[in-house]
Amino acid sequence: MRKLAFITLIVLTCWFAADSARAAEIRISQNATAGQPLSIGTGGSGDGTLYLVGPGQVIKRSIKLGNDVQIKGEELRSAGRWIAIIRSGSSSESSVFWVKPGAAESMSFLARPSRVPVAERNVISGMVFVFDKSRNLVLQPTPVNFSLAVNGSGAAHTVTSRNGLAWIDAGSGPKEGAAQFVATVGGTSVRRVVQQVASQPCNLRMHVSQRMKDQMVVETDPIRDCTGNAVPDGTIVTFTESEKNSKSTVDARIKKGVARAVLPASSNATISVASGIVLGNELHAGGGE
Amino acid sequence: MKRARFFVLMVGIALAVSGGVPLLMRAFADSKPNVQLNTDNSGPRQVEPSTQKAIVRDYSSAWQAINTALTNNNPAPLNDNFVGFAFDQLTQRVKDQQHAGIRTRIVDHGHKVETIFYSRDGSSIQLRDTASIETQVLDGDTVIHSDQTQVQYIAVMTGAEDRWKVRVLESTPSGQ
Repeated sequence: MRKLAFITLIVLTCWFAADSARAAEIRISQNATAGQPLSIGTGGSGDGTLYLVGPGQVIKRSIKLGNDVQIKGEELRSAGRWIAIIRSGSSSESSVFWVKPGAAESMSFLARPSRVPVAERNVISGMVFVFDKSRNLVLQPTPVNFSLAVNGSGAAHTVTSRNGLAWIDAGSGPKEGAAQFVATVGGTSVRRVVQQVASQPCNLRMHVSQRMKDQMVVETDPIRDCTGNAVPDGTIVTFTESEKNSKSTVDARIKKGVARAVLPASSNATISVASGIVLGNELHAGGGE
Repeated sequence: MKRARFFVLMVGIALAVSGGVPLLMRAFADSKPNVQLNTDNSGPRQVEPSTQKAIVRDYSSAWQAINTALTNNNPAPLNDNFVGFAFDQLTQRVKDQQHAGIRTRIVDHGHKVETIFYSRDGSSIQLRDTASIETQVLDGDTVIHSDQTQVQYIAVMTGAEDRWKVRVLESTPSGQ
């Protein structure tokens, strides 16, 4: 009799353990996607509590064990590692699942710098971080189109993102102006403006435009860079007059495309002109050019 | 007599261990996680030694802040280390935890981090982190979930006023 009671007790214990284990059963699709609805299957019977602990969210819900639990797309926003926990009485069971980012829908586009000289190689860099509509980084390779154009003429390149990032180094065009730097992912475009300005002066030349008794006026030709863009007004041009025992220097700003300086008249001086790292021609005052 | 002494000694050692181990675990939990940084594959720019030190310091600090914020359900530690979407996401997680009455404790066993992108202007860096972490979810004081695993993260950090801040932190299945 005692033996029978003992066996019955063991059977009941096993049955209870099996039932408890079944109560804790969680079934989750391994293809969950952020922003998409998700169905979570549960086993067992009775009441329980479902916890979903995600990277940027926690969802807690009272559930009937044995029924499927529907999670709405707008509730499942964070991509990454999630933990599903079902608690029933004092027992709990958990399962880890992954939520993939959704389709690429937005981006962060960083373009540097905002102002560059024309005709320079690899001076403009553009970086695009690709996000889904819930701002998860889209890690699947995604084509990103970069275009850089001034007045409609320019170049375009398509770069495939890696780890959610696509980047490009681009050269500036030959013409000055506001370059439109546009990145496009799917149907979304983001525009940045990169101001292309004239580069260093090219063929810097000056001449004496006026001679007076005690002074002379020297003036440059219209100052342009090597691709023909006018160097901006305000750029400093330095005129230097060197005599045997003295030196006079005048820093003049370009005004209406030319720079002009008044120097002391001399019977034997050398006048030079420079702007930044560019040297221009030399004049010999007194002895002729 | 000798047996009694031995017994008392053993009880004393057991007490010391039972008291000391949780204390040590707590002390380690509060310390900054270990971060090993590998910059061999960074591009298009090489990571300068000073930047390497700053990244190790600030990424480690960010993980310490995550742990403190999620354990105490207090978003304040996130302010100094996160910005943008990562900040919004973690702040929301703390709010949700408060609402649900749960906490998450992370026992951080270290991060093996490699740089996969460092922008030419030095303003952004992207990292791949293989983190060894133990995660415990507590409802009140009851542990309702515990696991220890390696998780891969993709992180984007950007330079801020006096430090690097985490802008994106996304966990991915290993091998992706």
